[in-house]
Amino acid sequence: MSTSIIHVHEHPPLAADEKVGSKDDKGRQGQWWRFALILVVTAVLIVPVLVVFILAVRPGPNSGTTAGFTLGNFTYVFQQTSTLIWLGNSLAVALATVLVSVAVAAPAGYVLSRGRSRAVNSYSLMLFVIQSLPVITAVIPLFILFANLGLVDTLTGIAIIYIGASMSVAIWMMAAYIDSIPITLEEAAWIDGASLFGGFIRVVLRNSLPGLLSTAIFTFLLSWNDYLVAIVFLRSTDTFTLPIGLESFFQQNATDWGSVMAVAVVMMIPPVVVFATLNRFFSVGGVGGSLAGQ
Amino acid sequence: MLLLVVPSLLLVVLINAYPLVYAVGQSLHNGTLISTGDFVGLQNYKNELTSPDFWAAARFTLIFTIVGVFGSWLVGLGLALMLRTRIPGRGTFKVLLLLPWVVPVVVTSTSWNWLLATPDSPIPKLAKALGFGDVLFLANPTWAVITVCIFKVWVSFPFMMMMISAALASVDPVIYEAAKMDGASAWKAFRMITLPMISRSTYISWILMTIFCVNDFPTIYLLTGGGPVSATTSLVVLAYRTVFQNFQVGPGVAIALMMTFVLVIISSVLYRQIKKAAIQ
Repeated sequence: MSTSIIHVHEHPPLAADEKVGSKDDKGRQGQWWRFALILVVTAVLIVPVLVVFILAVRPGPNSGTTAGFTLGNFTYVFQQTSTLIWLGNSLAVALATVLVSVAVAAPAGYVLSRGRSRAVNSYSLMLFVIQSLPVITAVIPLFILFANLGLVDTLTGIAIIYIGASMSVAIWMMAAYIDSIPITLEEAAWIDGASLFGGFIRVVLRNSLPGLLSTAIFTFLLSWNDYLVAIVFLRSTDTFTLPIGLESFFQQNATDWGSVMAVAVVMMIPPVVVFATLNRFFSVGGVGGSLAGQ
Repeated sequence: MLLLVVPSLLLVVLINAYPLVYAVGQSLHNGTLISTGDFVGLQNYKNELTSPDFWAAARFTLIFTIVGVFGSWLVGLGLALMLRTRIPGRGTFKVLLLLPWVVPVVVTSTSWNWLLATPDSPIPKLAKALGFGDVLFLANPTWAVITVCIFKVWVSFPFMMMMISAALASVDPVIYEAAKMDGASAWKAFRMITLPMISRSTYISWILMTIFCVNDFPTIYLLTGGGPVSATTSLVVLAYRTVFQNFQVGPGVAIALMMTFVLVIISSVLYRQIKKAAIQ
């Protein structure tokens, strides 16, 4: 999926900063110079994001007011357009994708992390190869298969594809996290009579919350942001998810920027909120580490 | 043990492996989305490899990927180095700078459209005021290529910034102290310490970004639709159009498969580099 893997890692302020950086006046001056530079760079770089918010609260042809600030665009898109349906569709697909992907990837990641057999190694290599395959290659045959199964233009259909597409990265992320849980914990449980499966559920899963959450965030974003699968498989306005909904709304209302951006805000709020609240669970080590460790 | 892997294996086979095998079959036929068509051997591949459209798309994909990977790496590296030092509001900057990556491309492509699509948009107006004349950012083929590449760099730099930040955090500051004492300049310390220390994650991020760029569809398609006059048609966009707009499944799948083949070669070369870097 072109949507990709996202890692956020909040670092504690580095010891390196204090030692390498500003010790004397020259250093302090450099610090303010850098602050000014990064302030300007950041301001310029986030203009396209700010524009979305600004245009969404400015009056437009459908906002019902000419006041400087208005929520009329939001009222309009929720009451007069299909935005609410698209939001519901996107949420339903994302929820299904997250739940199934995590439930399937966690045990597989456990096997990948603990397994030492040749079969496990080749599975891991297979997942690496699969991750680099273009989605477009899979989408065309799947379209024909799903057409025969009656899954084209259904939310179930695209959820199945998202789950499949998230598998390789989701399994790696889980494997990389489980690598950090000492095996001695399970061994203790096994001695106490737990089965392999019991050890996995009661010991490993109970200690894997950050790993499960970052896998969940990854699969959520993959499903929430996807455009290619949705545009191929979804055909009617009622089954659109937000990306396709926004795109088609934009094509039809290109002059009403206020309403277009109101839909855009609806679409960007969930991923931004997820990031703002959960980013500390996201570790860079995840995918990169397991990629290199093979 | 087996029971824990089987569900994932089924999904991987159904959604990833089976379509790939099926696609190979399709690429050898001249079918449509409804019928299989006749067996034509390697004719589809031959046609594509002699088609100027294919090579134009391959050329654009190459430019887009090279600019996307190294452009976002350079911007990400610069920002990661700046954010590494003690700056007031460092955490806030980090979060704000992630936005281009976190906000869906469908949303940001819409706002980029507002910013530069027509001559009356803010950025063309600004360019005109600065004396650059009428720049048609999306209507002029050369400018469209430049704009799409810049858009990709803008979308991707936070990913690079995160990867590099994490790698930098693992560098022991004592090494810099030692280098300073030995009289190494800042540039030399960067070249001899920082770069080697982040080489492993750099290779990983290059691999991933190469895959993201070659496979990218929305960044290009939503901003330009592949135009003007196919100037920004990448191989993925070409394959999509061939199949879903011209309904020629065989040639479209052949394009996608050739792209896959090259991609697998590139990532295995880079993969070897990672292993080398890991050993050092």
